[in-house]
Formats: sequence, C-alpha cells, structure tokens
Amino acid sequence: MGLIIIAVFYGSILFCVVASLAKLLKFAKAPLHLRWELYRGSSVYELTDWWTRPHVTSLAKMKSAALDILFLRDFYHRNRGFWYFLYLFHVGLYLLILWHLWLFICAMTIHVDAAPVWGLLWGHVATVLALIGGVGIFIKRMTDEELRAYYTPIHYVKWLFVILTLVEAFYAVQIYFDASMPAVMKYVRQQVAFEDLEMKFHPHMATAAHVLFASAWLIYLPFSHILRLFFRYYHQVRWDDVPNVRGSAVERKVEKLLSQRVGWSAPHIPHGRKWADFSSEQEQGAEE
Amino acid sequence: MKKEKIRVGDISKNRDEQLLTITGEDMMSLPSPLDKGGFQQLIRPLTEEQRNDYECSLDGVSAIAIPKPKSKEEEDRLVERFLGGLRKLLSQNDNWTFWQQLLLSLESCVRCQTCGEACSIYISSGKQEIYRPTYRAEVLRRIIRKYIKKGGKFFAKVAGDDIDLNWETIARLAELAYRCTICRRCAQWCPLGSDNGLITHELRKLFSQEMGIAPREIHELGTVQQLNVGSSTGITPRALENIISFMEEDIEEKTGKKIMIPFDREGADILLLHNAGEFISWPENIEAFAILFDAANISWTLSSELVGYDAVNYGVWYDDVQLARIAIRHAEVARELKVKRISVGECGHAHKALVVVADRVLSGDLNIPRESVLPLLEDLVCNEKIKLDPKRNDFPVTLHDPCNMVRLMGIVEPQRRIVRKLCPQFREMEPHGVDNYCCGGGSGFAIMSSMNFQDWRESISGRMKLKQILEAFQDVIDPSIHKYVCAPCSNCKGQIRDLLNSHEAWDKYGILYGGLVELIVNAMVDLEKPFIEWEWR
Ligand code: SF4
Ligand code: SF4
Repeated sequence: MGLIIIAVFYGSILFCVVASLAKLLKFAKAPLHLRWELYRGSSVYELTDWWTRPHVTSLAKMKSAALDILFLRDFYHRNRGFWYFLYLFHVGLYLLILWHLWLFICAMTIHVDAAPVWGLLWGHVATVLALIGGVGIFIKRMTDEELRAYYTPIHYVKWLFVILTLVEAFYAVQIYFDASMPAVMKYVRQQVAFEDLEMKFHPHMATAAHVLFASAWLIYLPFSHILRLFFRYYHQVRWDDVPNVRGSAVERKVEKLLSQRVGWSAPHIPHGRKWADFSSEQEQGAEE
Repeated sequence: MKKEKIRVGDISKNRDEQLLTITGEDMMSLPSPLDKGGFQQLIRPLTEEQRNDYECSLDGVSAIAIPKPKSKEEEDRLVERFLGGLRKLLSQNDNWTFWQQLLLSLESCVRCQTCGEACSIYISSGKQEIYRPTYRAEVLRRIIRKYIKKGGKFFAKVAGDDIDLNWETIARLAELAYRCTICRRCAQWCPLGSDNGLITHELRKLFSQEMGIAPREIHELGTVQQLNVGSSTGITPRALENIISFMEEDIEEKTGKKIMIPFDREGADILLLHNAGEFISWPENIEAFAILFDAANISWTLSSELVGYDAVNYGVWYDDVQLARIAIRHAEVARELKVKRISVGECGHAHKALVVVADRVLSGDLNIPRESVLPLLEDLVCNEKIKLDPKRNDFPVTLHDPCNMVRLMGIVEPQRRIVRKLCPQFREMEPHGVDNYCCGGGSGFAIMSSMNFQDWRESISGRMKLKQILEAFQDVIDPSIHKYVCAPCSNCKGQIRDLLNSHEAWDKYGILYGGLVELIVNAMVDLEKPFIEWEWR
C-alpha cells in the first residue's frame, strides 16, 4: 500500500513536470499565426508613422497579466455574480499555494518546535476561503440554468473533488495532527528529507489520502486551463502582437511559412500551390 | 407561452423542424419613438419554393443559400468533406494561419457565460440560445471530441455529450456561422481569452476553403470578382475613369474649386485606398478626401490598377487564401507606384485586414508601411493645418465606432478628438470606444441581402445599434433638427443606412448618417457652401 502511494505521488510529480513541459513546448513550437489581437484602449496605430514608434513593452503586458491573475479583473468587471465565490476560491487557493511553499521552506530551515502558531491560522483561513468559494461555485453551477446548460457532468465531479480535497486537508491538520504546527512541520520535514521511512511505507489514512489527492491534481494540472492562460499573455496571441518588421526574426518565420503548400481543396484553391505563389505574376503564370 | 430551451445537442435533431422561430415579441425592446407600435413580425418567412430548395432549418433564415442535397449519398459525402476540413482546421500545417488562436479558444473556455452578455445579437434576439456566443463553439467542441479525438465516441458518452454529426448539424452550423458579426466583443469580455468570434471565423473557413460553401455576395461577387474585375463592386478600371471625372465635376459644382483627383502618381507619399463602395454609394466621401488633401498640400495618389482602387478584403471574414491573394495585390500595387506608404480610408475591415492581419503574409519588398488615415486627419484638424470653423457643424452628432478600427486595432481617440473639436453638439453613444457594439453589418452582413437575410440583420444584428443611435438623440428627436451619425467605415454606413431606412428615420426623426471626413470638409472656412447636403441617400 505504502509503496503504491509513494509510486503514485512521485510518479505524479514527474508526470506533471514532463507533461507540462511537453505542452508548453508544443505551444512554443507552434507556427507563427496571422495577427488577430484585441485592444483594451489606444494603440500605436493612433500615431502617424507608427512603425517608427516603440511598441507595448513586455513589462506592461506582465503588469496587466499580474493584475488579472491577482484580482480576476475581467470577472469582476464583466460577471460580478460569478466573481464573488470565484474570488474567494482563488484567494484561498493562492494563500494555500504560498502556505505550502512556506511550510516546505520552514520545515527544511528552522527547528520544528519553532513553528509559529499563526502558520496554522494561515492554513485554516486559506482552506476555509477556498472551501466557501468552491462550495459556492458548485451550488451556483448546479442551480443556475444558464450555467448548467453547457457544463457537462464530468465538470461537477471536478468541483466535488476540490471540495473533498479541502475537507480532507482540514481534517488531516486539525484532527490527525491535532492542530499542532510543529507536528505538521515535523511530518513534512521527515517526508521531504526521507527521514522516517517507516511512515513513508506505512502512512496513516489521513496523510495518505492527502498525498493521493495531491497526486490527482498534479496529474490534472497539465490539462487544466491554467497552463493555457500562460499563452494568453506571454505568447502574443490575445493582446497587441508584434509587427512584422523588414529583416526581423518574424519576417524570416513568415517567409518560411509562405513557402509551405496550401493544403485546402475547395475549387478556388489550386492544388499544390504555395502561399507565396499568390503574387499576381505567379497566378497569371499558372493560369497560362 | 414559454419557449422550450434549445440545447446544444438539438442541432442534430428533428431535421424537418426549424430549430428556432423568432417573433417580434422575443426581441429586445427599442427606445422611444420606436417603443410603441406593437411587435410586428419583422423577419419575413421564406417562400415555399425557397424552403424546398435551400437549407433553412436553423431559424428559417437563409444567409448563404445552401442547396438541399438530393440524396443520402450526397449528404454522406458532404459529412465526410466536413470532417476532412475539420481535420485540416486542427492541423498546424494546413491551418498555420490561426491554429494557435483556435486551439486556445477551443480549450480555454470554462463555460462561465460571461460572453453572452457582451453579444448584441444574443441580447437583441431576446437571448435566443442558438445565438449565444458559446453555442456554436460548444457544438464544434463536441463534434471534435466525439468524431476527431481517439476514443471520442466512448468519452463523449462519459462526458454527457449528445451531438450527432449528420447533414442537418452541418447545414445548421454553416448558417450559424453567419449569425455572428465577428465583432469579437465576446472575446474582449472573456476572462479566459477564449474567442467565439474566431470560432465563427474558423468555421466559415472550413466551409469555404474545403467545401466551397460561402455567401455569394462575399465570395463570387466579392473576392473572386475583385481579383478578376478589379473591385467587388464590379467597377472596372475603365468605368473608374468616368466616375472620377464625374466626381471632379461634382467638386467644382459644390465648391467652385477645380481639383484634380490624382491617379497612378508614381513616387507619391501616400497611396490612399478607398472601399470602392464609396465610388458608387457615397462619392462625397472620396470627394471630401480630395478637397482636404488638396488644401493641405499632401502628396497622395489613388490607383487605377486592378484591385488597387478597392481597399476591401472580404477574405478576412471567411477565407485565408482569398485574404492573402488580395493583400498581396494591394502591396504589389503600392510597390509598382513606389509610394512611401499605404493609407487606408474610411473602411474598418480593410484597416484590420491590410494593416494588421495581412502583416504576416507580406514580406520583403511587399512589406510596405501600412496605416490608417485617421491619425493623418487628426493631425490636419487638431494641429490646425487647415482653417476650420466648428460653428459650421453646429448640429447634433454622434460617433459610431467600427469594431475593426477600435476594439480590433486600438484606434480610439483620433476620430473623437476630431469630432470633439469640430462638432459643438457631439454626444457619445453608450457604450463606446473599445466597448462599442457592432453596427450589425460586420463580417460581410452589410452587403448580404439574399432571401430574408436582410430582414434578420435589420431586426436582430442591427437592433442594438439602432437603440444606441436613438438613445444618443433622445433630447433632439424632433425631425426638424438635423442629426448626423458619423460612421468612419463604408460597411457600417451601409448597415446604418439600411437600419435608418427601414424605420424611415430621416423623414420621421431627421437622422442622417455619413463619414468623418465630410464633417471636416463641412467645417472648412474657405468653402462657400456647407459640404454636407442634408438629403437621404
Ligand atoms: S468563452 Fe469565455 S466568457 Fe464565454 S463561457 Fe467560455 S470562458 Fe466564459
Ligand atoms: S463575435 Fe460578436 S456577434 Fe459574434 S458571438 Fe461574439 S459578440 Fe456575438
């Protein structure tokens, strides 16, 4: 049993890393696309000779992305009813991620007896916030006819799983570890440093369940929309994109793409023609 | 009686029944003075003959006139071709042009329905489910999951997907791809960056690029005619000569000035591209540009080369191959004339197509600087390079934001600075700027009028714009007060014309429409008579 859990847990970490990288690589290697961006306000195209002017910096884009992620701005402005629970859930989640990081670092760097009590409060508050948010969304999704129509049953299972994970985590800390931060920290330290192999191979149900839940989420992560969000900003798809300047890397990529054959087969698309062959001389030449 | 909610899977069911029938009562109500007068049935039903010949089981409207297949074999062949096209749409090689955006849009939706509230078609129709931005996207997703992905049929059951891919689904989906103006307001709204307008675009591409299905006005009479004859209006280079000399005479008559409209002037600074629709429907727009540029001493030219006198590029709405062909022609014309830049006149989709979308089909010596004409107009007006008197424009003016220029390109302020400076009674529509609503004629609708489609675009897709215009003029609705809807885009003007016309808004409420440059020239102090003629056209 313990061996299986160990295999599942470390396997899921490996899977998450490899699958995420593969996915990121797939998107990073995707061909350059035609530009189709949107604008949130005035752009460089409002200026005469815009091609001589500086374009939006990555810093500005990162700032905008950070604000979106931190506050879920679009939901706040466009769909307030949904935002309340979603935001509680996300704040809880962000706090929980930070809490785990903090826990791992502290467990490895300070003496477990020095574990601060407020750590417990932090963890519990985060869990409760995420739980209220999660339950709220689940109920909203179940009861709102508009939301229900497009949500396939499998998605509800996901939210149930979220709720179960949170409840179980709360149980583990509060009941199993008796709400003791030093106990939690000691456990983490022993696990990370492989200090207590006995516990690793014969874990208690409370910790085993937590580890299994974590594994399931790690396996899910590469398929979730979180990874895709990354491209919304950093891969220049949605907001103002990079212009094709003569002699630039973009132009080199464009030339390569234009030398590909067009694969579509409606009557107006001549078979075997390359994209670059749509210049008038070549089209006339082909017709003659 | 409350209508039963249409579900995603219904698109594949009951082939002989119309999925949706919209009545006047369903539609969003309009403000005064159109709030009274009952709910007349605004969309005329198709004739018996049309119903027998064409697919119309989506909503009883036919935008693209798909002939009904004659046999089961023909249907099966069409289903196979659709699937083949769908595979190409999802292939990085075949669809490199939009593969990334398509995948992101397909995969990132969390079904929060935030986008529904953004869509003027969905709202105007009284929230008809099939017009919801996510409806067609969800149909497509479910088809992909079930028929393209490995083990799809099994997983579709597990996931609760209830779609079947039959001819009915495809015919309805093709029509549904022409119930969205690709205004992309929903995409701006989406917190996850999923773009339902793009999904419409990709569906249209699949139908056109693989199955040869596209509206006649956009394909045959549009891009094909433009490439062969020179313009989607059918104007040949020869006919153009006559039109231009008529316009020069007209300018002289109106202003007393002898202005030559420059053509094929090699080495000019600017090649100005107009939507050729202006030559036929609104020559005053082209004349106004000529008067203004003459007064400002600008080095510019028009072209009389094939395609070079028509800025439109309908390819951007439905077909990447046609988009590339036309964009390349435009750049070739500019290269031959050795101009410094191409400037796009008052045409929204031509802006987005040539300046932005086609940016990555032009390379080397075809990669010539391309820009909107609006910043130049702003420079002339706001830096007082021309003598202008706002008192000449002392009538109520509101401004329509063409989606392609504003939300899709970020050209928000130049046109506003101009009207604020020149029009003392300027008032904004609400909402405006990047949050604007489409005129309802976007993505080709303004030029599509086959069968009963014009009824649909006037009563549904244009309804929100009509509402906004009326609201902007509520305090001056008296017909004796002349009002002006400024729309710096040919297609938007066409749609606004049809909207106002169907309610006789000029006669009854004194509302006229026109372009931006006309307002500038109307304010020019060295013209004796006002340039704007207050008569319906
Ligand atoms: S497209 Fe975006 S806004 Fe619409 S339902 Fe999906 S995630 Fe929500
Ligand atoms: S692109 Fe515009 S018309 Fe189409 S679904 Fe989105 S909001 Fe509606």
